[in-house]
Amino acid sequence: MELNEVWVLAEQKNGIIQTVSYELLNRARSLADKLNVSLAAVLMGYDIPADEVQELIYRGADKVYLIEHEVLKDFLVEPYSSVLCYMIDTYNPQIVIAGATSTGRTVLPHVAMRKRAGLTADCTILDIEEGTGNLLQTRPAIGGNILATIKTPEARPQMATVRPHSMKPAPRDTGRTGEIIKPVLPDGCLVSRVKKLDFIEDESQGISLQQADVVVAGGRGVGKAENFKYIEELAKVLGGAVGASRDVVDRGWITYPHQVGLSGKTVTPKLYMAIGISGAIQHIAGMQTSETIVAINKDPDAQIFKLADFGIVGDAMDILPVLIEKLKQCAAQREQEAVK
Amino acid sequence: MRIVIPIKQVPETGNVKMDEKTGTMIREGVESIINPLDLYAIEVGIRLKEQFGGEIIVLSMGPQKAMEAIREAIAMGCDQGVLISDRKFGGADTWATSYTLSQAIKRIGEFDLVLCGERATDGDTGQVGPGIASFLDLPLSTFTSEIVYIDEHRIQVKRLVEGGYELLELPLPCLLTVVKEISDPRLPTLRGKQRAKKIDVPVWGPDDIDANPGNIGLKGSPTRVVKTFHPQVSRNGKKLVARDAESINKAVDELIEFLKDRQLI
Amino acid sequence: MSVRYNAVTQELVDKLIDIVGSKNVIWDDQERMENYAHDEVAEKEYAHMPDVVVKPADAKEISQIMKLANEYMIPVTPRAAGSGLSGGAVPVYGGILLSVERMNRILEIDKENLMAVVEPGVVTNEINNVIKDDGLFYAGYPMSLETCFIGGNVAENAGGGKAIKYGVTGRYIYGLEMVMPTGEIVEFGGKRVKDVTGYDIVHLMVGAEGTLGIYTKIVLKLLPLPTAAADLLVLFKDVDTAINVVPKVMTNGRIIPTAIEFMDESSFKASCQYLNETIPVAEAGAMLLIEIDGENKELVESEYETIGELCIANGAIEVYVADNYTTIERIWKIRRNVAEAFKVVSPHQSLEDIVVPISNIPDFVRGLAEIIDKYDVPIPCYGHAGDGNLHATVVKNPDFTMERWHEILPKVLTEMYELTAQLGGTISGEHGIGSKRKHYMRLVMNEDQLNVMRRIKKALDPNNILNPGKIFDME
Repeated sequence: MELNEVWVLAEQKNGIIQTVSYELLNRARSLADKLNVSLAAVLMGYDIPADEVQELIYRGADKVYLIEHEVLKDFLVEPYSSVLCYMIDTYNPQIVIAGATSTGRTVLPHVAMRKRAGLTADCTILDIEEGTGNLLQTRPAIGGNILATIKTPEARPQMATVRPHSMKPAPRDTGRTGEIIKPVLPDGCLVSRVKKLDFIEDESQGISLQQADVVVAGGRGVGKAENFKYIEELAKVLGGAVGASRDVVDRGWITYPHQVGLSGKTVTPKLYMAIGISGAIQHIAGMQTSETIVAINKDPDAQIFKLADFGIVGDAMDILPVLIEKLKQCAAQREQEAVK
Repeated sequence: MRIVIPIKQVPETGNVKMDEKTGTMIREGVESIINPLDLYAIEVGIRLKEQFGGEIIVLSMGPQKAMEAIREAIAMGCDQGVLISDRKFGGADTWATSYTLSQAIKRIGEFDLVLCGERATDGDTGQVGPGIASFLDLPLSTFTSEIVYIDEHRIQVKRLVEGGYELLELPLPCLLTVVKEISDPRLPTLRGKQRAKKIDVPVWGPDDIDANPGNIGLKGSPTRVVKTFHPQVSRNGKKLVARDAESINKAVDELIEFLKDRQLI
Repeated sequence: MSVRYNAVTQELVDKLIDIVGSKNVIWDDQERMENYAHDEVAEKEYAHMPDVVVKPADAKEISQIMKLANEYMIPVTPRAAGSGLSGGAVPVYGGILLSVERMNRILEIDKENLMAVVEPGVVTNEINNVIKDDGLFYAGYPMSLETCFIGGNVAENAGGGKAIKYGVTGRYIYGLEMVMPTGEIVEFGGKRVKDVTGYDIVHLMVGAEGTLGIYTKIVLKLLPLPTAAADLLVLFKDVDTAINVVPKVMTNGRIIPTAIEFMDESSFKASCQYLNETIPVAEAGAMLLIEIDGENKELVESEYETIGELCIANGAIEVYVADNYTTIERIWKIRRNVAEAFKVVSPHQSLEDIVVPISNIPDFVRGLAEIIDKYDVPIPCYGHAGDGNLHATVVKNPDFTMERWHEILPKVLTEMYELTAQLGGTISGEHGIGSKRKHYMRLVMNEDQLNVMRRIKKALDPNNILNPGKIFDME
């Protein structure tokens, strides 16, 4: 009997599974194992290549519910919500998790309201409560200053969105097998009053902040708008994304999509470099779960140093050119060695 | 154009200091303000009103003190307010909050738009906007960063997503949650403040919005906070001083070694 | 005259080490001493390295140091946080730099007498943090209150943004324990509200820029903490209209605001642009920022309404109201970022501190416009309109060479100070003379006035050991 499965909502873009889905599978796999139930991925889209679907199984799914339709090609909240509601009614999963992405943070609340389900946003830790089997959802609250553990004692399913990049993607195991199920949808599921007219790529965003392994973020200590090019260059050398404090976004030195913190994005990269950022609570809320934090700041008493694994007290504009140059040399050296 | 804007009063965090010893926020004496992200919704609403005429009704669920937030929104240029306040609403999670606000909006009657801040800076969930859309069955755009076109029947918006923007078209009425990029909020004027002081803002309880008692407050909330604890925020790693060419070189070299050690480069 | 002083020798350093301990003496470590070679005046020519830095712990140690300095003929420059803007804490003749940074204790909070006794190295804002919970506050409010030390505030008789209602530092200094230039430890004043017993030495010492003695204990008057505040940001079409409102606010309104800050067109437009601030300012030619504080929200609300109505009746284009931290911070940011906004134009600036009678501000701004035209340099003008204290800031035209800048700056300053003097003003309201402005003293003070000060200095410091080269030259 495989009732009350654990589900992850897989995300695809142009038919390609997004990394966040594998991160979710990694988390959910251990939940399903603890509960001794199956782990299923729910994947909506259109014309998704078979090997992409298979990849979800390699990454830990026991089942894939594959729902393909032209309307589902791109994310649209109404049909995605209707399909997910129908699926929940039909299969009765006990846990449904999605990434805390623009998609997950839109569709899960939409579904949770309709299913009278408990939903917790942007979790960083998930676990199963001993004895009850309830999902324990832990998330930073009040600007990341405290962690709150939340559960849903009665309502089902238990739902959560999970902070992207807060766990490694599940390892690939091509020996794994699983089942692909293609449910037949009832009429009326696939209606959207909202039309997607276009997608406008924002190249300035570069690598998506929330998916980047390295984020180089600049604050007021950078001095002026023109100096942001050093932040961009450092990010480029490190293969990372560009972030910014609220203050410099307010000043128009860089656009809002780069803002990290309470009124911007929350990031969890392997390396976060805070350049000329003092570390106001609002900013810290957006980056404190980064694995390694490096800070460069003029003020030796800046709050950011308390969080930093490595700090340099000095003027960012004196230090960055040297750092960029030396990192470039390192990269050139590595390339040479690779050629040998 | 009739616009409804649900707002939340939150603790001001810009002025908050950290307790050096415990690494926790010192919350005593902290002021309450309109959720900063709601200000963008308010500004968008006012601009649409300036363009099309009509009225803006701002509503908030919270204690009596939340009246301040409502009056501040009116001072900025909203026309009317409603405070949803009763002990029975206390302890609501995002489900019960979305339900309560959507019941209140039903009572407000016909409207063209519901505008919400993308999330509140205290709860930080971003679930109530989509939640209201779900309860009221409204077309929804979250993370809205620009209104590209609007007339009486439809609206085209940009929605900020990973790697770019979606261009969406929605029929009216609909609900938008907005991000900072969409507007720069104005400051209230003296005349606005004076007007806000005089306006009668009704307070609605559960009966006024025809709420099912089982759906509001803690009782109506599926989730429970089990415990809260303080994460270790302090790492206090190595700190080098780099003030001249020599010490900069040395600090940068050490940083690169550090990054290599951690296999970050 | 620097030849009168002797060089610092190893022997002297050993004796200093005997007094304060080796870890409190910096000697032969250029990098660490460099921090003590300048204050917040940006131009390098006002910096000077000390020969040795000492960090005494109390009055006794300072007394011994002063006696030693007189014996060896070594100048001593006292220093608090080094956040000054006139070079007052810079050891212009080298010698001993005496930092009070270790003397940072709040010794007593006397709630019954509403007084506090503090050491000179306490960060000013720290005092308020400590007494806040008792519903008290210290009203001295320099703009740098988060970094500056109270000792430096007393030495400069610091003013700041709240001076019209609360006055400047000196108003709150009731007593001083100090070490005289010749080494005696003497107390003046105390926790007494009234005191006419002898000369008012306390207020001779306040604002003496560290030339007459070194404060070791300071008795401060405290006030009940106002619990509500609000700010108005008021746009006017021109300077005259804006300034005409100021006396009306103070008299017709019967309300003393805590601050009336003024910004001229170039100041607020640069700052707004720098901050990306979207308040519509295109029509405005001058801006006032008026702060009111008080017992409770209702009172503050009725006061800002009165003032706001007065502004509107007297030609204000628009009155914005800020009554919570977010909005208050937003409008103060405009005022605080003027200097930084002009750093984008050029980092080379001379931040001035002139004072004129309030009604002469429009004439000053008009005169300034002529200087701006004549020398082709931006001089944004902003500051404390309620006190007539304006921080006109001469900014280097980015097209000028450094040589040209150095050539014209003294000319610009001379003309600006002459204009100030003509309008009944003076050259420093709150930053002090220090080394930066002493050559301009003659524009606002005659020889007799200077001589009275010289005689006082000579009487108290016969060897001219303590902070020489500041305010005026001895001959």
